[in-house]
Amino acid sequence: MTTSILETSDQVIAKLSGELDTAAAPLAEQSLQPLADKGKDIVIDCSELEYISSSGLRIFLSILKQAQPFGKQVVLKNVNDVIRDVLEISGFISLFVIE
Amino acid sequence: MVSFDRSRIFRVGIVVIAAILVEVISIMQYERIRKMILEEEDIRNNVVMGAMAHEVEHLLDLTEATMYENLWEVQRCLAHPDSMFSAVVHVVDDNPYVVGGSLAFVPDYYPAKGRLFEPYASKKADGSIVVSQLAGPEHDYTQSSFFKKVLETEEEFWSNPYRFGPDSLSLVTFSYPIINQAGRLAAVCGLDIDLSWLGDTLNARQPYPSSFGLLLTREGTLVAGPPETRTNYAEVKTVLASVNGELPERAIRGFFINRTQLSREPSWQLVQVNRTDEVFARIRRQRRQQMLFILLGLAILAFMINLYARNEKKLQRASEEQARMGGELAVARRIQQEMLPKTFPAFVNGSLEPAREVGGDLFDYFIRDGKLFFCIGDVSGKGVPSAMLMSVAHSLFRMVSQKEESPSRILTLLNRELCRGNDSNMFMTFFVGCLDLYSGVLSFGNAGHDKPYVLTDQITRLPSKANLPLGVFPNTHFEEQTCKLAHGTTLLLYTDGLTEAKNAAKQPFGRTGVQAVLKDFLSGQDQSLGRLVHTLSSATHSFAAGAPQSDDLTMLAVRFAPEKLVRDQITLKNQLSEVNRLSTFIKDYFARFPIEGRLAAGMRLALEETVVNVIDYAYPGGAEGSLSVFADSNGEEIRFTVMDNGIPFDPTAYLEPDTTLDARNRPIGGLGILLSRKLMDSISYSRRNGQNVLYLTKSII
Repeated sequence: MTTSILETSDQVIAKLSGELDTAAAPLAEQSLQPLADKGKDIVIDCSELEYISSSGLRIFLSILKQAQPFGKQVVLKNVNDVIRDVLEISGFISLFVIE
Repeated sequence: MVSFDRSRIFRVGIVVIAAILVEVISIMQYERIRKMILEEEDIRNNVVMGAMAHEVEHLLDLTEATMYENLWEVQRCLAHPDSMFSAVVHVVDDNPYVVGGSLAFVPDYYPAKGRLFEPYASKKADGSIVVSQLAGPEHDYTQSSFFKKVLETEEEFWSNPYRFGPDSLSLVTFSYPIINQAGRLAAVCGLDIDLSWLGDTLNARQPYPSSFGLLLTREGTLVAGPPETRTNYAEVKTVLASVNGELPERAIRGFFINRTQLSREPSWQLVQVNRTDEVFARIRRQRRQQMLFILLGLAILAFMINLYARNEKKLQRASEEQARMGGELAVARRIQQEMLPKTFPAFVNGSLEPAREVGGDLFDYFIRDGKLFFCIGDVSGKGVPSAMLMSVAHSLFRMVSQKEESPSRILTLLNRELCRGNDSNMFMTFFVGCLDLYSGVLSFGNAGHDKPYVLTDQITRLPSKANLPLGVFPNTHFEEQTCKLAHGTTLLLYTDGLTEAKNAAKQPFGRTGVQAVLKDFLSGQDQSLGRLVHTLSSATHSFAAGAPQSDDLTMLAVRFAPEKLVRDQITLKNQLSEVNRLSTFIKDYFARFPIEGRLAAGMRLALEETVVNVIDYAYPGGAEGSLSVFADSNGEEIRFTVMDNGIPFDPTAYLEPDTTLDARNRPIGGLGILLSRKLMDSISYSRRNGQNVLYLTKSII
């Protein structure tokens, strides 16, 4: 599991690669934590994210909870079928902007 | 309140019609007989009266003959006037009916005797005869009608009847001329004849008590009739008066009057009178009796019809009741049949043929968590009571075994419920098995049921310990036994309807019969369980050969012969870092058979979330522990088994989080079990032998 963050004028783009399972979650949370502090819209690029567990979803939710009070949105980009299934089951699909 | 239903009207109608019919016939018969009687009466009267007329005529003939016989003596002695007295006496004496006789000589016949001469003899009551000479100045016989008439016609003459003398005898006078040798009329002989006896003779033999006969002159004067002392003399007078036209015709209504005229002089008529009521008395009496009989007959008819109708109604009610019961039984049978499994996978098959509409047998199976739960049971007795208990047992089994997987526990719970309120002391034998479809581990409990057959390459019987049947004692302990079935093993469970099926000679099919069929089956081509059950069923029926099925026939066959089995397992410590090992394990496992990636990812997530849950919660307070994960597949289904030694913890008991809440209100936790549940077909928890056991299953076809 690797994370890379790219910052533009109005967006913070985080690109996740590999599997975000329970074991990988603590590290991923650490690296994604600063995203919300930037005061910009957040884009999470999932094009290389193969797998996500509920601990991964929790990280996404906590980012959302931090961004929302500032009127910023969190966009999940390029989600594959496996991750889309999980988002749907959990109801997260209506919380995030999915592109 | 009488209700005039159709059947009652019908019954009354029958009686009324019968009454009318019988009455019409009776009236017709009565009229016919009446006519016959009338005809016969006529004939008889004619005969009787003919005889009577004959008698009267004969009498008159006799009288006349007697007188003619004496004629010659008178004629011979005409020359001696004095001898005329003795001649008269002779005539009177000779004839018993003659009470007096006179010889009235033509005037001046004997100059010596004066102008008129009439010797007279009369019979007294004592039979003596008194002689006198009647003629005198106060008795000029030449003026009497009889003398004049004979003088004029010189022919005999019968006078009209008259009454004479102190006894008021009814007399007639027979007069005839006496011609002397010169051929001249000498005298008129007049004989007074008493005919009062004729009335007695006429009335001596009468056909009916009130009948009487009359002898009348042509003009209707009574010559002879019944004695006046007769009780019905008033009737005699009425008839007489009516015959003479003194009373209207209707006065003699109620009488049959027959008349006949004598065929000689005097032209008297005989009248025979019968009362109609007496003529018809017998037939009327008969008719009254007949009416009584008819009434009696009608009463019996009404009674019988009523009885019949009541029986009919009872019969109809009974047959309606039977039809209703039959209908309900058919519904009960359908309900019972619908409770039974109808579709079978290759490794299970069964059949139930009730001896009656409904049966006391049951079998069932279902698959849960990759395990086959199956049972067979036989309630004591047959028919509806057994069926009701069977239905209760069936429902209980379904309910209990949804949660319990230990056969011993299932039997205990069933037994406890069936003992409750079992006042009719019914019981049932029951066998419960739980076969792990991946491992072949069979756990079973037997409540008094026949040991199942075990078919491998040979035929044996499962060494199951026979406990008490269900419903006997509430505290019965049911021992649970476990064994591992070799691949390809078949279990055959049955009720005694199989072994105790009887033929017409009452011989049972028996275990030898069953084993023979099983042996045949094992050596045959088609080894399917459906074939096994069908073969046994038809063998039983052909053995019974038409003898009525004595008991419900139930069979259940179970086979452990999974193909394409893929099994693996891993033991993990209760640390989140172990999830990496789990991920590797599961990826390797999925690589062993074809499975779609998205499906595999979902199952991997479900398993991961479950395992994480166990790691998080089963060992509180940082206790170290381990958990085992088993992955099994038969190519159709995947089953994960997660077992740990932690505190009892049932993740399936937690409520699902609300996935429609917005981000602010969404709690962070609770997602794991939701994902597991949604991604798998089923998750079930049980606590067994101090372990938490979670089964996760998913169909992969």
